[in-house]
Order: sequence, then C-alpha cells, then structure tokens
Amino acid sequence: MMRTLHRVYVALVYIFLIAPIAVVVLASLTTTNFVTFPPRGLTLAWYAAIFAHPEFVNSLLLSLVVGAGTALVAGTFGTLAAVAIAREQVIGAGLWLALLSSPLVIPSVVLGIALLQWFTIIALPAGVVPLVIGHTVLALPYVVRLVCAGLAGIDPALERAAAGLGATPFQRLRRVTLPLIAPSVIAGALFAFITSFDDLTVALFVVSTNVMTLPVRIYNYMQFNYDPLITSVSTVMIVLSIVLVVVVERVIGVGRLFGKAAAE
Amino acid sequence: MRRPYALALLVPALAVLVVFLVIPLVNLLVTSFHAFSSTQGITSRWTFENYTRFLFDRFYLDVLVRTLRVGLETTVLCALLGYPVALFLQQTRGATRNWLTLLLLSPLLVSMVIRAYGWVIILGRNGPIPLYTEGAIIVGLVHVSLAYMVLPVLASLEQIDPSVLRAAASLGASPLTTFRRVTLPLTFPGLLAGCVIVFSLSVSAFVTPSILGGTRVKLLSTYIYDQVVSLLNWPYGSAIGFVLIAVSTIALLVFSRVLRKSQTEVVLG
Repeated sequence: MMRTLHRVYVALVYIFLIAPIAVVVLASLTTTNFVTFPPRGLTLAWYAAIFAHPEFVNSLLLSLVVGAGTALVAGTFGTLAAVAIAREQVIGAGLWLALLSSPLVIPSVVLGIALLQWFTIIALPAGVVPLVIGHTVLALPYVVRLVCAGLAGIDPALERAAAGLGATPFQRLRRVTLPLIAPSVIAGALFAFITSFDDLTVALFVVSTNVMTLPVRIYNYMQFNYDPLITSVSTVMIVLSIVLVVVVERVIGVGRLFGKAAAE
Repeated sequence: MRRPYALALLVPALAVLVVFLVIPLVNLLVTSFHAFSSTQGITSRWTFENYTRFLFDRFYLDVLVRTLRVGLETTVLCALLGYPVALFLQQTRGATRNWLTLLLLSPLLVSMVIRAYGWVIILGRNGPIPLYTEGAIIVGLVHVSLAYMVLPVLASLEQIDPSVLRAAASLGASPLTTFRRVTLPLTFPGLLAGCVIVFSLSVSAFVTPSILGGTRVKLLSTYIYDQVVSLLNWPYGSAIGFVLIAVSTIALLVFSRVLRKSQTEVVLG
C-alpha cells in the first residue's frame, strides 16, 4: 500500500519534470500559426520555417562556437587549477578552491552588469571573446570540482611511481595524471559547454544586435511573437543536447559522469 | 614536499577570475556609491542614498520580502517533492535506477529559457495557477532546482548503514517509525545542504522570474535588470545587486550554522 502510494507520487513528480519539455516539443508540430497545446494537426512546417530565419541559424552557430570555446578555455584552466589543488599540495589550497568556487555565489544578473561595465571600460567590443570570457567565469567552478573529484579517485602511488622512475613533473602530468583523469576532464568540459549553451543572463548583457547567442535570440523573439517558430527552434536545441549526452555516454558512461561527480 | 611550480598551474584560472570577476565587481561596488541624475547619468558625487533608498522605501522592501518568500516556498516544495524521489532512487537498483537518474537530470540539459516557455504554454491555459503570478514563478523555479535537492539527499541516504535500519526493525519499530526516528534524522544534513543550494539558486534566479513573472511580478533580479537596462540607473541597479549578494550570503551562513548544529546533534543523539 505505502509502496504503491510512493510509486504514484514519484511518477507524478517525473511527469512534472518532463511536462514543460514534452509540451514544447509537441507544440512544434501544430499547423496553427500560434502556439497551442495540444497541437492541432501535424506538420513539420515550423522546422522548415527555421531556414527562412537565417538569424536563428547564425545564433545557433554562434552558440556552438562560444560553447566550444568555453569548454576549451574553462576545461584547460580548470583542470590545471584542480591538479594544483588536489595533487600538487599547493600552498593555500583551501583559499584557492574558495576563490575558484566564488562565481557560484554571485547572481549571474550581477555578473552580467559588472562585465558589461568592465568591457565598456576596457573597450572590448561585443563578439565571441567577451561571451567566452563571461561563460568561462560561470563554468570554472564546475570544472574544478569535477576534476578534483576525479583526482580523489585515482591512486597517488601511480604518480609517485612515475616520479620515482625519473619522470619530470610535466611528463608525469601529461603521461600519467591526465590520462587517468580524462573522464572527469571530459565531463568538466561538457558541463562548461552546457553552461555556456544554456546561459541567457550573462549573455543578455554582453551581446549586441549582430552577435546574439541562441537563448538571447529566443528570449527576445518570444517577447513580441507568438508563432510556433520558438517551439521548433527549441526542439532543435533539445535534440542537440540529447545527442551530445548520448555521445558522451557512449564514450565515458553517464553513471561516471553524473553519479559520483554530481553528488560531491 | 614544496612544489613551487604548482602555483603556475593556478595562474590561468585565477587570472581570469581576478580580471573578469573581482575587478568588475569592485568597479560595480564603487558605482553603487555614486549619485545618479536622470539628466547627467552617473555623477562623481559619493553617496549612500542608493542603499538608504532601498532600505527605507516600502515599495522596494516589498520586492525584497517577495524574493525571500518565493525562495522559501520554492525550497519547501522542492524538499516535499524531492525527498520521496531520493528515497525511491535509493531503494531501486540496476537499469531502472540509471534511467530514473538520467531522467531526473535531463531537464538540466535543456535551456532554462525553453523550460520556462514550456510552462508559459501549460499555465497559459487558464489553469489553477495563472501566468505572471508568484505561483507561476515558483512552479518554474521548483522545476529548475528539484535535481539539486534530490542529489544531496540521495547521497546522505546512501551513507546510512543498512544494519542500523535492520536494528530498528528487529527492535519492533514499524517502517514509518524507522523512517521518522532513524532515516529522516540521519539524512538531515543532506536535506539541509539541498535547501541551501535551492534557496540560493532561487533568490538569485533571473530567467525564470523574468519569463513567468512578466512585467507584473518583479523579484530583486528582474528589478536590477530594469534599473540598469531600461532606466540606465546603474548606481541604483548595482546597489540592489549587492543587497541581493548580501541576502544570499547571509542565508548561506545561517543555513550552514544550522547544518553544523544538526550534524553534532545527530552524532550526539
């Protein structure tokens, strides 16, 4: 009895979790020229309509470029910092970890205005670079934490053995430590990509009318338009995220990606 | 063993944070202490009025109270919805559990803009919770933060020694009593950790309140945006920003104090 009630309750929570996403995907199939649920009729016309709006395609490409740039920069810098903190017994490790986690406690709307003001002062024009910078600040804490968790799981004796066999610190990092923590580095880079690909708030302050990421484009479009184009563009974005996760799952396994790391 | 080269590994990440987080925030803090005039913009006169204006105006205090209320209600709802899910995941094994975990986390991969839009479609059908109300914002925020509640609770459930539960059962405790007297107190630290994350996420969230609150229901974060982007009142907007940072930091400190206290209580019985 209790068991059944528990099952029903959990099922309802899962329906709640899936509902808004399912509704967006299903609404994209409507034949009406306004968003409605359940959809009326069945058509892929709103997917074809995306190509009549090159600004959405450009924004998607920009978001992918910025996401990849963020994954590369935050992934590299974050991994190096994590190795210094968790492996190399750097002086003041606790302080550095706290500083590297600090973006988590700064509301992104405040980070957004602070960066807008700062980019104006240093005269950095809108484009890929300021977006990658802003997203790197957002993503660094995740990369550092994931890689630190990965480092905690490997045997330090392997690194000591490498050192004992005469490897220089750099050789040890490149040939022993990095290959061992590769899954968490990939997970960190993936998190950085998703953080960037998902971000609206910081990008909202950093973009210009010509250089606009996809979330900002969608946000601006839905302020004044009610046609289902938003739902088809959103579905494309959802499918891209799913493809990304499936690919990563095949390479390193979702269990390793989320199970251990996310609970840290 | 001292390793000076280790500091060099930290330099790139720290440089990014100092140049693009610390310095911009200090700059913004300086701005928040400058006067604003609608004709001249940011003036060179130093003042506290941006902060006093916020703290002594009924209207803005209401926004602060509303933000805290929304944060609190979101946190309580997440605990009520998330705890049974964590318990269920802990009792499930194998492929089902992997799938349910993946399903729990998958909304995180979908942009918050899209998830909020999904709620716009659902709540726009004139149901019990109308759009552009506090209720709509809370629904969206619970959806965004639920996974952050389930994961820490699940982690603390996993740490319970099964023999403790068996002992309770063999001493004649019913499943409900075992849950109330053993499981719940032991997972209290995980539950509180989840509450801290959810509360600080929801008081500082921008996307969800902006889309589901619209122009009618404003929280601190959406007010900041209006002040800076629409009214160009940078000093006042940044002052509210630092009030927001103060609010979430104080909440974090209070929560972590309670957390430490509850941990000692659990240990000491």
